[in-house]
Amino acid sequence: MKKSLLISAVVLGLFMSVILTQSAQAIPAFARKYRTSCSTCHYEFPKLNAFGKAFLNNGLRYPEGQDPDIRKDNPVSLGSEAYKKVWPDAIWPADIDGLVPLSVHAVGRFNYAPEAGGDEEEEEEGGVKSTFEFPHELEVLYAGTIGENVSFMGEIEMENEDNEIEFGFPFWVQWDFNANWHVRLGNVSPDPTPDHLRLTRNHYNVASFRSRNRWRLRDQQSGIELRGAGNGAGGRGGYTFQVGVVNGQGINDANSSKDIYARATYKIGGLGEVGGTQGQGSETSAFYVDNNLRLGGFFYKGTVSGANPDEDITVFGGDLDLWFNRLIVNGAAMFMKSEIPDMADRNSMAWYAQANYVIYPWLIPLVRYEYTDADTDADTPDPQTSLIPALTVVLRANVKITAEYFLPLDDAHKDADQLTLQAQFGF
Amino acid sequence: MKRLVFISFTLLAFTATMFAGDIVGKVKVQRAKNNANVVVYIDKIEGKVFEPPEKHAVMDQKNLVFIPHVLPVLVGTTVDFLNSDDVLHNVFSPDCPDGKFNLGTWAKGIVKSFTFKKPGVSTLLCNVHPEMEAFVVAVRTPYFAVSDEEGNYTIKDVPAGKYTLMVWHEKRKAKPQVVEVPEKGTVTVNFELKRK
Repeated sequence: MKKSLLISAVVLGLFMSVILTQSAQAIPAFARKYRTSCSTCHYEFPKLNAFGKAFLNNGLRYPEGQDPDIRKDNPVSLGSEAYKKVWPDAIWPADIDGLVPLSVHAVGRFNYAPEAGGDEEEEEEGGVKSTFEFPHELEVLYAGTIGENVSFMGEIEMENEDNEIEFGFPFWVQWDFNANWHVRLGNVSPDPTPDHLRLTRNHYNVASFRSRNRWRLRDQQSGIELRGAGNGAGGRGGYTFQVGVVNGQGINDANSSKDIYARATYKIGGLGEVGGTQGQGSETSAFYVDNNLRLGGFFYKGTVSGANPDEDITVFGGDLDLWFNRLIVNGAAMFMKSEIPDMADRNSMAWYAQANYVIYPWLIPLVRYEYTDADTDADTPDPQTSLIPALTVVLRANVKITAEYFLPLDDAHKDADQLTLQAQFGF
Repeated sequence: MKRLVFISFTLLAFTATMFAGDIVGKVKVQRAKNNANVVVYIDKIEGKVFEPPEKHAVMDQKNLVFIPHVLPVLVGTTVDFLNSDDVLHNVFSPDCPDGKFNLGTWAKGIVKSFTFKKPGVSTLLCNVHPEMEAFVVAVRTPYFAVSDEEGNYTIKDVPAGKYTLMVWHEKRKAKPQVVEVPEKGTVTVNFELKRK
């Protein structure tokens, strides 16, 4: 009785809303499964390095069919190998991870807005000068494989949003035909940036920009996706692609039309997109080095229901990701055409450019410039521009502190400066 | 002339083993999962310098693990580093007595080599898999052995005489012991290794 009262009190005290967020992709359970460090897959968590991308492209498996040998857990058999000979008179055998593939990721922040506060009305609306936002976010993450052809990833996420708790439980399950071809069902997205697993607290403007009915690329969609990857000539670089059909909005679609998207990249040089060691090797190395240039393009078309009549959106763009020794320079541009019956069309553009540099593997500064023009055909309002310098300090492979400043450069947002000190850890 | 040299060396080797004994024993490593990877060795024999073997020693990288974890070698020995995984591996040492070295990364099936010319312990790391670690222990005599999980070791064919027997372990230590090797048979020396 006491327990149910407590639960009711917690639920009543909080406003719970379902969110469809990007899946986190830093899963400490893999460190346990393979007895390997985070930096085997991460440039700095959650951002993947070249091997981490190859691992993901292989359906969360080690490349070249090495997974059974390299994993250090003791998988639980769901049927012996010999049952393959009996099929279809038996269920095809598989196995599950010997260790429960659960992990936790926690994020807390201290926020300081130098221009905020001092005004009672503003403070009531949350515009305070400083706040300890601990906790900001808690995620229970899970990911792994089931036999040779199934992989999965998901999370249960709780996040503070102005003292209300947002709740999300995105996941995907994937059929892995082989290292090159996969069909993913669940929460999928066209990943509009080359670096969607960002190092900063601030999301990319390209992904966060909203249509007139509040749609944005950043939100994962519920749908189905065909995805693939392959190595380029000589085993270096290569291609990736995603083609998907999604609701566009919500777990239950907000309208009857389905949205479609596609994304493709080509990587020149560096580790092959599905891994392997053919043609690889160098005199120097580090887990954060993979000299290459990757070019990408994406397309999204859909219908968005909202405050206005149904809005048809067409989104397309491109991205560039250059890795050279300790330096990474990347950027993406997004163009959106919004069409609403009886209203003028709106054309929007957003782009960013970012550079990060590894001073030490545990000390990475970065700076990002963002430009967003909500209506390229109108003179007002002025485009929104901002600069985001940040310094990330990896205290341990799974413990990180980030100092980040959001500096608006346009007049309309000039008082929206914000300093964030963010602490996060996973296990 | 060549024949004479060959016969002389053969006789010398035969005579040496005629008057050589084995050192056997057991090591116990306190608070360790097992008693493996303890190097037991005769550090030096006054007036004797041993030629390194022509045959290279081998350290592999397989399933994200250095194999073996501890590799004792005679000073001057060349170690071949293999990569048996289809992922890139690296070998570098931040504390090799010969100076820090970094062999870069290389693909499966390729071999890179390094010669350990000075006595001492070299920590070996892989800078793409930080959890990987191994040790090459370069010693001045060919009389060394590595303990198994039960702690057993055997150093065979040690010329009869009185020596100082040393031990090395990555986390534990024990005092050297003086051992008198008989002309034939075995002598037993046990060690208990404690926190450094």
